[in-house]
Amino acid sequence: MSSALLSVAGIHRTFGSGPAAVHALHDISFEVEPGTMVALVGRSGSGKTTLLNVIGGLDRPDRGTVTVDGIDVTALDEDGLSALRRERVSYVFQTFGLIPVLSAAENVGVPLRLARTPQADRERRVELLLELVGLAGHAQQRPGELSGGQQQRVAIARAIAASPRLLIADEPTGQLDAETGLSVMALLRGIVESEGVTALVSTHDPVMMALADRVIHLADGQLTT
Amino acid sequence: MIPALHRPSIRGRARADLGPLLLVAGVVLVITLLAAAVPPLMRATADRAAQEAIRKAGPDAAVQAQARWEDDYGPNGGRVRSTGIAADVDDFRGRAEEALDPDLRAALRPPITTVAAVTLAVTDGSVQRHFQVDYVQDDAGGPAVTWIAGRAPGGTADGNVEIPLNGPLWEVQVGLSETEAAALKLKPGGHVPVQDELRQPYNLLVSGIFRPVDPADPAWRTVPWVLQPSSGLDGSGSTRLGGLLSADSLPDARLAFQQDQLRRTVWFAADPDKLTWESAQQLAATAAALKATSASSGARDDSLKWDTGLDRVLRDVRAQVDAAYAQAAVLLIAVLAGAVLVLLLAADLIARRRATALAATRQRGAGLPSLATELLIESAVVTVPAAALGIALSLLLAGGAALLWTLPVVVCAIAAGPAFGVLAAARATRDRRAPANRSARRRQLRTAQLRRVAIDATVLAAAAGAVVALHQRGIASGSDSALPASAPTLGVIAGTLLVLRLMPVGTGLALRQSLRSRRPLAVFGAARAAATAARVLPLLVLTVTTALAAFAVTLDTTTARGTADGAWQTVGGDARLDVPPDSRDDATKIAAQLATAPGVKHAVAAEVIDGVRVIADNNALTPTLVIVDAAAFQQLRADTPLPAAPDLAGLSGPRALVRSGDGSLRPGMTMRLRLENTDPMVELTAVGTAPAIGTATDVILVDASAGLAYQPDTVWVTGSGAAKAVEAAATGGRAETRAEVLDDRRSAPLNAGLAALEWAAAGTLLLLGMLGFALSAASSAPARWETLARLRTLGLRPRDTHRVAAGELLPPVLVAAIGGPLLGLLLVKLTFGPLALRTLTGQLADPATTVPWWLLGVAAVLLLGTLVAVVAAEAALRRHLRLGDVLRAGGS
Repeated sequence: MSSALLSVAGIHRTFGSGPAAVHALHDISFEVEPGTMVALVGRSGSGKTTLLNVIGGLDRPDRGTVTVDGIDVTALDEDGLSALRRERVSYVFQTFGLIPVLSAAENVGVPLRLARTPQADRERRVELLLELVGLAGHAQQRPGELSGGQQQRVAIARAIAASPRLLIADEPTGQLDAETGLSVMALLRGIVESEGVTALVSTHDPVMMALADRVIHLADGQLTT
Repeated sequence: MIPALHRPSIRGRARADLGPLLLVAGVVLVITLLAAAVPPLMRATADRAAQEAIRKAGPDAAVQAQARWEDDYGPNGGRVRSTGIAADVDDFRGRAEEALDPDLRAALRPPITTVAAVTLAVTDGSVQRHFQVDYVQDDAGGPAVTWIAGRAPGGTADGNVEIPLNGPLWEVQVGLSETEAAALKLKPGGHVPVQDELRQPYNLLVSGIFRPVDPADPAWRTVPWVLQPSSGLDGSGSTRLGGLLSADSLPDARLAFQQDQLRRTVWFAADPDKLTWESAQQLAATAAALKATSASSGARDDSLKWDTGLDRVLRDVRAQVDAAYAQAAVLLIAVLAGAVLVLLLAADLIARRRATALAATRQRGAGLPSLATELLIESAVVTVPAAALGIALSLLLAGGAALLWTLPVVVCAIAAGPAFGVLAAARATRDRRAPANRSARRRQLRTAQLRRVAIDATVLAAAAGAVVALHQRGIASGSDSALPASAPTLGVIAGTLLVLRLMPVGTGLALRQSLRSRRPLAVFGAARAAATAARVLPLLVLTVTTALAAFAVTLDTTTARGTADGAWQTVGGDARLDVPPDSRDDATKIAAQLATAPGVKHAVAAEVIDGVRVIADNNALTPTLVIVDAAAFQQLRADTPLPAAPDLAGLSGPRALVRSGDGSLRPGMTMRLRLENTDPMVELTAVGTAPAIGTATDVILVDASAGLAYQPDTVWVTGSGAAKAVEAAATGGRAETRAEVLDDRRSAPLNAGLAALEWAAAGTLLLLGMLGFALSAASSAPARWETLARLRTLGLRPRDTHRVAAGELLPPVLVAAIGGPLLGLLLVKLTFGPLALRTLTGQLADPATTVPWWLLGVAAVLLLGTLVAVVAAEAALRRHLRLGDVLRAGGS
């Protein structure tokens, strides 16, 4: 049996039908070992986001299987997928996706609330995570009062709050300047090491690729390396 | 420069947003139809009300001309019998017709001329009766009769003989109807035993007994006592009978009476079928002018003296029509406001849906004027045909269209879309960022707050001004009444704005509370609610429409209750019997019999005398006197919802209860009154407040033991069998039942029309509210479902998304369901007074507000039902969307 945390096998995904059909993913297969940070690289429209969505269960492939931590994601129903996202897979998006009326600490605590973590444990964990992402002093600030980089740090803290096995980050530095982007990627790298989480990060930036353990290239829906 | 238009963009946008645009067209169509149709329908209703009032008023609404006779003294100092007097009466009628304004003449029926003598007392020793001799002439010469005994009155002498002033009583022949002959127990050849106030007898010979060919002939309406004894015309407790003169006996009547004792009158009855509300107004003015310019009654010449009650009748109708117009205007403005708010919300939704496309268009170089023109063309294409169809339907269904009333909706529908669209495009491309400097950000925030406060203060001031204008000026038809008629709507809008400013505080509190709870769904719902709480239009639409619907329903329930109470007040019980003069000796017995009839609870006999002469505090007053067994009367009133009259308990002896509209009769004062059948003045002490009796404003009520001569003429009856029992006992008398009065008032044109309008307005407003809620939910749906999608990436289950969505949408629904009706009721308190509901309910005072508490439940059920439907519909629509697609679209 494979020791990979993530196993992608023969994934196909086509949008539309007939002559207008777009083959977003074509026979994608790869594996990712636990505790590694993998960069998914490709130009816009190469299928990066589609692949991440399929892996995280946000989209379903036409063919092929995705296994995360031994669970066949493609076979799960909606409740199973919800449980998967609550316990094993989390996301970081380019647009942060924080709840504007909640403070940074409350945003980080959202997955723990969904997991019904006791309040005291939740507060301890949130405090720890905010310290980890360097925002201990901004716990009570709302997203609107934080910079873009700080908001993305909150989003990362929220993503790892429930101790997922796999962290999927779709262009997490897309809305940040180069310097802030680099610091966010460095943070992700540090989290992979400190929390033992496996990260799959899509990016355009060659500098970011240098921080990854492995780089997977995607072009026109197919792996090129 | 003419803005460049890009037609494919216009077509493409319209195709993409076909649903919302069709919805706008639908709202414009329905509201335009309503706004255009209500004023002409009100006018038609006012026409019917004026016609009905004229019809009911009968001779009271007739225009009368009177003129003195020329003296008939002969060359020898005596009086000359003039054989041409009937021809003189004809000439007099022609003179009156010629003198009439042609417009007024056109609205009047052919004239009827009467010659009436003074009323004489019948001296046969029985009950108080009076007698009057009358000559009636119309185009056909007079109403047709059949002589069933004797013959028509003839002349006593031939030719123009002169008789001495102090000669014997001159005989005049009269005919009696068979009813009156029976009442007077007279046959042809008999004499009517009469005398005048100075106890001077008259020689009235009965020549024959007749039966009218058509008792409904309009000519008889001027002298109904000639056919049937009529009560109450010659003082309390008295009955008038009449004798018919002919053209041959008229010269003798002239001689038989003094020069001033015979009065000739031409009656022009108003023709209801020729009247409209507008022409009735002109007619009232013409009639009033005619009276004002008429010769005084003291003039000794034979000039025409005009009189009419037409202006008074029309003044009463005008008060009712004004009240109805006021209520209709208030309701129509409420509906228009609701529609305008919904149209603004629809424009907001369309602009949000197009925000990305508009921004892209702008970025590609399209100017704002071009964009505005394109959007204007689109909204005009949507609005104008819908409005035209609404107006056409109004013309078809209501026979007219009030274009001015449709303007707010049409203008809003045309302008709102372009305004919101251009604003969205301008915002998307303007280079204004939040300042980095904290104090600059704070200043920006403060400026925005000040702007909001200024808007709130302006709306509040406008609402206060409208309420003041409503109280000071009221709402009169045809005048500039837009501001006072807007008072309830502006008041509701102002109140809602104040509530709106409290919303963030409320949702913030709810969020803090939910953060302390262990329920994650509550947190997410409250968080979304807090994020959207400051949106103005959704809450404004929901609360304003619900509040105004509550206002409309309260108007209806209050009017309905007031009309029911008014019927109780008018009748005095479930039924009332006005005992005929001949049976008044038996009134107490009749009451006792009625009391034992099946289904009757109580029956009480009373004497009700209008216009008794009373001296109170050195003031001469003419209140209505009621003599009744006070204890029995109190028991009877306890069966009714009429206000309790506790002072009736223990009333006895020379003590009285009083009620006065102007305070001229007060408890504690001593009054002296004289009745026709009691010579000495009776002294009474007012010891308490009398209950309202019928429509009398001033009332004195005494117990039957007060020592006043007492002959009951009225029997009040209560109980489910009262109407049937009274109708069975009403031989010769008049039975009035509460159910009939109530039905009559409810089906009166103005009341029925208003009730329909009130329900139509309430229904339309509630529908607009639900539509507005659906639109606001659609408008905020993309942001909501993006957040929900993000929460699902964190592990939120699909079925829980519905609850979170409902939690976000719940606060405005709760505020509208609870606050809306309460706000409506507050405005009811502030504005009902000047709407003069009493003029339509038939009460002496405005009806007490009847709060439809059930409305709170109905509003809550409707709005919560809409919420559930909206959430379910959204979930169904988005069920097939993959999370990845939602996030990709939202994150782009």
